[in-house]
Amino acid sequence: MNNVKKKKNPMTAFFEAIGRFIKEFGQAVKDGDSGVKASLLLMGAGYWKRGQKLKGVLVTLLEIAVILYNVFIGFPYIGKLGHLGTVQQEMIYNPTTMKNEVNNYDNSLLCLLFGVISLVFLIVAVALWMVNIRTTYKLQKRAEAGKHINTFKEDCRELLNDKFHFTLLSLPVLGIIIFNVLPLIVMICVAFTNYDQNHMPPAKLFTWVGLANFKSLFTTSMTVTFGYTFRRILVWTLIWAVFATVTTYVGGILLSLLINSKLTRFKKMWRTLFVTSIAVPQFVTLLLIRNFFASNGIVNTFLAHAGITGFLKHLGWISTNYVPFLTNPTWAKVTIIMINIWVGVPYLMLIATGVLMNIPEELKESARIDGANKFQIFKSITMPYMLFITGPYLVTQFTANINNFNVIYLLTQDVYTTTNQKLAASQGKEIDLLVTWLYRLTSEQYNYKMAAVIGICVFIVCAIITLFAFNFLIKGDKEDTFK
Amino acid sequence: MKKKIVSVLLCMAMITTATVGCGKKESNDSAAGGETIKLKVWAAEEDQDLTKELISKFEEENKDQKFDITVGVESESTAKDTILVDPEAAADVFAFASDQITDLVNANVLQEVQDKDTVTNGNVEGSVEAATVDGTLYAYPFAADNGYFLYYDKNVVSDEDAKSWDSILADCEAAGKKAGMVFASGWYAAGFFYGAGFTTELNDDGSTTMDWNKTSSTGIKGTDVAQGMIDIAQNPAFLPITDGDSTNQIATGSLGAVVSGTWDSTAVQEAFGDGYAATVLPTFTCGGQQIQQGSAAGYKMMGVNANSKQVGWAMELAKYLTNEESQKTRFEKREIGPSNIKVSESDEVKNNIALAAVTAQNDKAGVVQMVGSNYWDPAKSFGEIMAQGNPDNEDLQSLLDNLVEAASQASN
Repeated sequence: MNNVKKKKNPMTAFFEAIGRFIKEFGQAVKDGDSGVKASLLLMGAGYWKRGQKLKGVLVTLLEIAVILYNVFIGFPYIGKLGHLGTVQQEMIYNPTTMKNEVNNYDNSLLCLLFGVISLVFLIVAVALWMVNIRTTYKLQKRAEAGKHINTFKEDCRELLNDKFHFTLLSLPVLGIIIFNVLPLIVMICVAFTNYDQNHMPPAKLFTWVGLANFKSLFTTSMTVTFGYTFRRILVWTLIWAVFATVTTYVGGILLSLLINSKLTRFKKMWRTLFVTSIAVPQFVTLLLIRNFFASNGIVNTFLAHAGITGFLKHLGWISTNYVPFLTNPTWAKVTIIMINIWVGVPYLMLIATGVLMNIPEELKESARIDGANKFQIFKSITMPYMLFITGPYLVTQFTANINNFNVIYLLTQDVYTTTNQKLAASQGKEIDLLVTWLYRLTSEQYNYKMAAVIGICVFIVCAIITLFAFNFLIKGDKEDTFK
Repeated sequence: MKKKIVSVLLCMAMITTATVGCGKKESNDSAAGGETIKLKVWAAEEDQDLTKELISKFEEENKDQKFDITVGVESESTAKDTILVDPEAAADVFAFASDQITDLVNANVLQEVQDKDTVTNGNVEGSVEAATVDGTLYAYPFAADNGYFLYYDKNVVSDEDAKSWDSILADCEAAGKKAGMVFASGWYAAGFFYGAGFTTELNDDGSTTMDWNKTSSTGIKGTDVAQGMIDIAQNPAFLPITDGDSTNQIATGSLGAVVSGTWDSTAVQEAFGDGYAATVLPTFTCGGQQIQQGSAAGYKMMGVNANSKQVGWAMELAKYLTNEESQKTRFEKREIGPSNIKVSESDEVKNNIALAAVTAQNDKAGVVQMVGSNYWDPAKSFGEIMAQGNPDNEDLQSLLDNLVEAASQASN
């Protein structure tokens, strides 16, 4: 019950705030005097009436700019947003000018981009217009109550003092809207279009197709194996994320326990050695290891000369003349997880070392006095403490692994070839994560629409898992256990 | 309230910069003649110096005109990927491999060649065919060596034995060496099928029509070709090479024969020493008869970006960079096999072992490969299954059916 309420709260609060805002606006329009009512048309009117001349001029100038922008650029683009352009590019070579004559064509991508931008600006402009009315109404109230009305200078000074947080935040917020939110909206929109190799601007137009892409993601027919491939890859992505997270986590803790053990000598040297592997750029390590484990690589040459390859073949584990470390689906999956342990364990070791040093020694001491053996102490004190402290890290690590592009792509690109024809028909591989598949779809196949669809799916998967895990792992009541 | 003004002002600033920004972009194609012609050329890393040299010659020949030509690095094999990301930002003149031409034409990136006769009459037929889409000539060929053929070590494989896979593999086994080829690639694997008379056709919707799961015009069954590939792959003397790994494998010195292209000629010369030889691809056993292995003949060509602001001069430059003299220079400096008829008939070119082999292979059984984007991954997967000797013993007919079906999907 408590949980449900918690999740609902921000949403209801958001809508309540909007409702309140609209109510205030309505009230301002209803009860406002001539200045407020005039502001409906001329935004500066309300300020002029209260003697705030400069502010009035600025606001009116802004209003004119917004109207001009919308009339000349905004509305035409918003109009095109419905169909994303109708005039296809045509060019004819003119031998006398030695140039191509191009018609006034529509670029669907720009239509979508500027359409979305203009729409967002329009919404912001309307909101500002409403805010303006409310503000002038508040000014009217102040004047009626005989309170002091700020001059422009006082307004500016206030922005540096009482309201400094607004000044500080306005730039980052704008940045986020322009560089994160707007592109995100455009990319989400792409999922509902047919933007792909056959519909690539500027030469071709693309248009809205509704939910067709989502439908084709989940249909498996003989010609389109997209649904099959998506399911296979999603399952492996989740398996991978679980294994990659758990193995590095457990491995890191064991390693740090081993290094911190009283019996271990040269503790600092061991720690340094493992940390050095962090110092080597990950892609260098991965590319080198890929070459080591290639079908004709060093490891295979060694194994063949040592007779191990022949032995494995005799056992029936392999059918090739080499050990298919990165070429057979099962072998490759195991190899990748193993290599990921090598790459990931040092980070965990560092974190675990820090946490282990912080476990209150009295806790262990009293447990020991009560007759607990080392394993019991590890199980009942060390591990719960670790899990509590590193819980958030574990969750982020899990989502990071779902999107672990580096390890999979660098280890298998150009090396791994699928023998599953159904997967090949959709450009997938057994060892692909959703992100690597998405990357190849966009970079090699220019299938932007499906990439957007998969992107949305990846987001949904990550969001569900993170929300669930955070709620489950980091509930407030656990804190008491350690106090 | 006041904070709104700040954000409002910032918004306004953003809007104005945004609108001013695009307003300018649209108005800059009103360049008048007579001024400096700005052009951007893309060439492969190894061809940078050569390209710059040729460009300065071009500038000398057109002294009346001021030029500002810059050269950027872009490999022929990846030109398409970079161009299609943003055709308007791509180079005016660029080199690309012939298999990319359909995608480039579909994206309206390639400018139609105006001086058709010079290109058609000057270059070998196959290269002109590869530069033509639906009867329209779209590019200027400059190299005809982008194909694969057989390198062999005379000390291991005799000239006579180099004519069939069976004897090559037998000789290699006897010498403790291996014969290598890339199977897991839609480019290499197709050679077996082209040799047996099978075809691939590219349709307007980006799908590929294939007859590999049927019987070819020469009466050979597709399953027999697949079985022939498996027979080669299962020979202990055969080494399946990963695409792009051939240079490494040649360098190990364990090979007695290898199917590769001119890009590996230096590596092969070093590995084979005085036994270095090259010839057309061998025959392979297919349903009890010997069939000449075909190949996908590849060409390299210069394309002109239709979105270029200086299309006319870009075409002049592309024509110059691919004319007889430039191709001759290119061969002398970089040993690139010319597509120009006169240059390719010169003695120097004919005496080059690798180039002679690729020319002979193109003439004998080279096919201009026309396939859509959905062909490559399924064909690679099919080749890998063949290379592993069909480990799951799947029905060859259904393997071929799956391949044909996957390739026949319209692109995207």
